Amino acid sequence: MKEIPSSTQSSKSAAKILTALAGGFLVLTASATSSGAQTFNRAFAVSPERSELEVVNQTGTIKVTAGANPNKIVINARHGDGAAKVEATQNAMGKVKVEVTGRGRVDFEIAVPASSSIDLLSYQGAIVVTNLAGAVRARVTEGDIQIAGLRSARVDASCSQGNVSFSGEVLPSGRYTLKSFSGRVDAILPADADFKLSASSFRGGMDLGEFQMKFDKYSSQLVEASHGAGRASISLWTQEGSIHLRRKP
Amino acid sequence: MECRAVVSSLSDYLDGRNIWASDDEVEQIETHLANCPACRNLKLELSEIKNAARELPLHTPAPALWARISKGIEAEISIENGPARETQKGSGWWGWLNSRKFTFSLPQLAAAGAFAAFLMVAGISDIFGDKSSQLKFRDVQSLLLLPEEDEIKANLERRLGAINARKAQWDSQRRADFEQRLNRIDESLKRCRHMLEDNPKDAWGQQTVRALYDEKRQLLEDVERLKW
Repeated sequence: MKEIPSSTQSSKSAAKILTALAGGFLVLTASATSSGAQTFNRAFAVSPERSELEVVNQTGTIKVTAGANPNKIVINARHGDGAAKVEATQNAMGKVKVEVTGRGRVDFEIAVPASSSIDLLSYQGAIVVTNLAGAVRARVTEGDIQIAGLRSARVDASCSQGNVSFSGEVLPSGRYTLKSFSGRVDAILPADADFKLSASSFRGGMDLGEFQMKFDKYSSQLVEASHGAGRASISLWTQEGSIHLRRKP
Repeated sequence: MECRAVVSSLSDYLDGRNIWASDDEVEQIETHLANCPACRNLKLELSEIKNAARELPLHTPAPALWARISKGIEAEISIENGPARETQKGSGWWGWLNSRKFTFSLPQLAAAGAFAAFLMVAGISDIFGDKSSQLKFRDVQSLLLLPEEDEIKANLERRLGAINARKAQWDSQRRADFEQRLNRIDESLKRCRHMLEDNPKDAWGQQTVRALYDEKRQLLEDVERLKW
């Protein structure tokens, strides 16, 4: 049997790969066209010391993370064929505001300087914040909030219907408020975190895990306690869900 | 304070009947509870029983029950009065009441008149008044449980009023969704306020009511920021 030269074989393989890629590209293009998905991309120059971002979204996910460029806020959004309209503006102080009006889902992926202060609102949809060091305010009416890898002194996360989870450093002067009306509240803190805790759950119960704390008040519904010198303030509240406090492994 | 003393006052403490006690005594009980796991557990169990009892549904007695009770009273009266009953005008309670002689002083008559007038006004407003005015009337009458509650309520009403004015432009799904969320918070608020009424000094109860008012404010603020 005559052997096919290896060069011929490789050129045939390359042709197959190209055909497959071209086919894949066509399929992707077709799906993007048929779903009517649109993108919104904008970048704003900011000062890393005073970078501020506000996002108000009707429906959809907002993901914000520390970007590689410390002088830019980069916004990427994808939205369907609904009537949603995305607007991004920057005021004289450098604050960037992104606002969605009209109905329809919009998903954001935003990169900001790590020290940015952010203020996020989504009526329906999750909020995910990672690796930031500035003040974080996150509010979801229906959906989860996940905050991870934070080194921030001010965190205020609240949802009406959904779970809230926080994992990050606890700075001595920090104030951390995590609330959910009907969901679960999770906080994962370093073993040496120095904080004063106020945790209140009306009906879901509490699991305060492995922290050896000094209790001022203790019941199944309310705990007031401190760990270390009690310098930072941590407030956890849920009306109908449960509270879980754990040490970072 | 010793365990025995705390245990004997625990039930009153949980029922909010400790309002006669001085702040020092309440503080002593709370300090003891913070340091004594056994008493703390007992308190926990008692409050769980109390909360569970509160969740039990209220039963309205059947109309027949009152009929049986009234017959029983009438029978008792007839036994007490014996043959003299025959001379009374009419029969039953009305007859019995008619047979009595009542005398009233002027202040008593004035108080009775004022009470009758109040009942009449309340009755008329109940029949002819619209529902919203009734709710406002009851709301104003309700006890203020937090020092700043008036201010909180005024702020919420103002915001809700502005939202209600725009609500007609929303689609039905959005309106239903918003109202459902608001009702859910209001239900919790109502329940927690009732609990706080039982024990107005309970710091945790106050904290919970404040948190629920804040949750309501937050929902209204969401809608404002979303520009609905």
